[in-house]
Amino acid sequence: MSVLELRNISKRYGAIQALNNVSLAIEPGEVVGLMGDNGAGKSTLVKVIAGNFAPTSGDVFISDQKMAFHKPLDAQKAGIEVVYQDLAICNNMSAASNVFLGREPTRKIGPIKVVDYAFMRKRSAELFARLKSETRPRDLVHKMSGGQRQAVAIARTLLSDAKIVLMDEPTAAISVRQVAEVLNLIRQLSDHGIAVVLISHRMPDVFDVASKVVVLRRGELVANKKASASSPEEITGLITGAIESA
Amino acid sequence: MQKKDIGLGVLIIVVGAIVYMRNPLFLSPINLGNTANLIGLFGLFAIGQGFVIMTGGIDLSVGSVIALLGVLFVDMVGEFGVPWPAAVAVTIGLGVLIGLAHGILITRFRLQPFVVTLCGLLIYRGIARGYTAESTAGFPFGSSYPQLEWLTIGRSFGVPHSFLAMLIVAAVMWVVLHHTVFGRHLCAVGKNEEAARFSGINTRFVTIAAYVICAVLASIAAIYFAMFTKSVQPSSHGNFYELYAIAAAVLGGCSLRGGEGSVIGIVLGAVLLQELQNLVNLLGIPSSLNFAVMGAVILMGVLADQQFAAYRSRKNTERALGLLQKQ
Repeated sequence: MSVLELRNISKRYGAIQALNNVSLAIEPGEVVGLMGDNGAGKSTLVKVIAGNFAPTSGDVFISDQKMAFHKPLDAQKAGIEVVYQDLAICNNMSAASNVFLGREPTRKIGPIKVVDYAFMRKRSAELFARLKSETRPRDLVHKMSGGQRQAVAIARTLLSDAKIVLMDEPTAAISVRQVAEVLNLIRQLSDHGIAVVLISHRMPDVFDVASKVVVLRRGELVANKKASASSPEEITGLITGAIESA
Repeated sequence: MQKKDIGLGVLIIVVGAIVYMRNPLFLSPINLGNTANLIGLFGLFAIGQGFVIMTGGIDLSVGSVIALLGVLFVDMVGEFGVPWPAAVAVTIGLGVLIGLAHGILITRFRLQPFVVTLCGLLIYRGIARGYTAESTAGFPFGSSYPQLEWLTIGRSFGVPHSFLAMLIVAAVMWVVLHHTVFGRHLCAVGKNEEAARFSGINTRFVTIAAYVICAVLASIAAIYFAMFTKSVQPSSHGNFYELYAIAAAVLGGCSLRGGEGSVIGIVLGAVLLQELQNLVNLLGIPSSLNFAVMGAVILMGVLADQQFAAYRSRKNTERALGLLQKQ
């Protein structure tokens, strides 16, 4: 059973064919490296999966059920979480507040609902422990390293029992040591049975964690194969078009 | 309480002590009562301004709203004999509408808060002056409204009710800001609107709500000011009040970049501003220098705060380096 299946997804912006007949299936716990040059359609594909907009044609299946996402919240409810490149987190808030941003737990004091800070801290501490991250719930995000921020963003996805996590360039702007941290986080997600779609330009990172590599070129899926059966050279060729398809 | 709030509190006490040493009248019941009244009046709308500033916006129309709604309120009660509870309801209702208009123009039409509320400042002042044909709106001679007066300008145990009203509003807004989901979302929207939107927060609603809160508190302040001055001169009533509110909010630790602030800080900011006004009066400084004193103290306060923060972070770095070297 695949957790996510795309069947013949196409997306047009006026005269531009951003995605052309893309089909793809992802198993639970699988880490898929989604690669392609700028403008190859990676972002469009991610936005279709995340429910930012509907495909012009084609179907999205989650756990073999056909889905029609009208807004990102629909996708979120179906178990799809996105970790954005510029990290959708607020610097002025604590790690715990960020993990729960947009879905704060409340408790009632008389007639008024107040934010349950104690629960937020406890639960996010558990999530950080699960991710084997040393992030502390009370720490302000603006004092954190890039890797810790990623941990916060990823802990958000655990909160909602996500089935699929889409990560847009999570290793683009951080130091080498932090990259290792983030790759570990991705492995943790995978170990918990969560599928990860890793969009990245960094070949070593993809080959480090991904079990499958998918290459898009000019809106078409030109490769979908096991990482162990491919090589960075081959993928580079596929991205640039030096190799037609594989 | 945040560190900034404590620093501000200390500053208030130090300034108070200095003024008291130069002029003991500072702590006389009459002076304290009068100052508390002014703190209440200005604190009411400064809290609203703080909420708007926390979203990263600004509301420049507050003073004009106070003038326009003051004129209308006085006219409704004094001229047309509308029962005062109805007049209060209408005034606050107008506040809601003004806030909604600002919020919708800013979120739906994507206009800048500065521009929208600057136009508001001009429009409301203009309407107030046009509506009254530049004449002062006042209550008829000899009229009295005991309940309304008790609520607005009355005192209990020497404490002005305007001050109590401000404390109640502050308490409610403190819970709203620091302990409700809305408060969390307000800080999130102010700091990183995109992140807030991606997190599923209705950012438009949050922003609009902040402007409505600001305008509603301004409308309540308008009633208190109108009752305090008893007559409203449409061209000068409430002039520059938005700047008092902004100054109080900024003194109280609200960042103009949004996302930061505390209700206690804003209230303390309003206290300090009135203390400075009082200082000018009590120390015999020509009242024409009023604004200059205020500006200088705010500037020094902000400067000191920044220097102190830089000093603290330097100390922290040194300590961390020291620990590293020991290892």
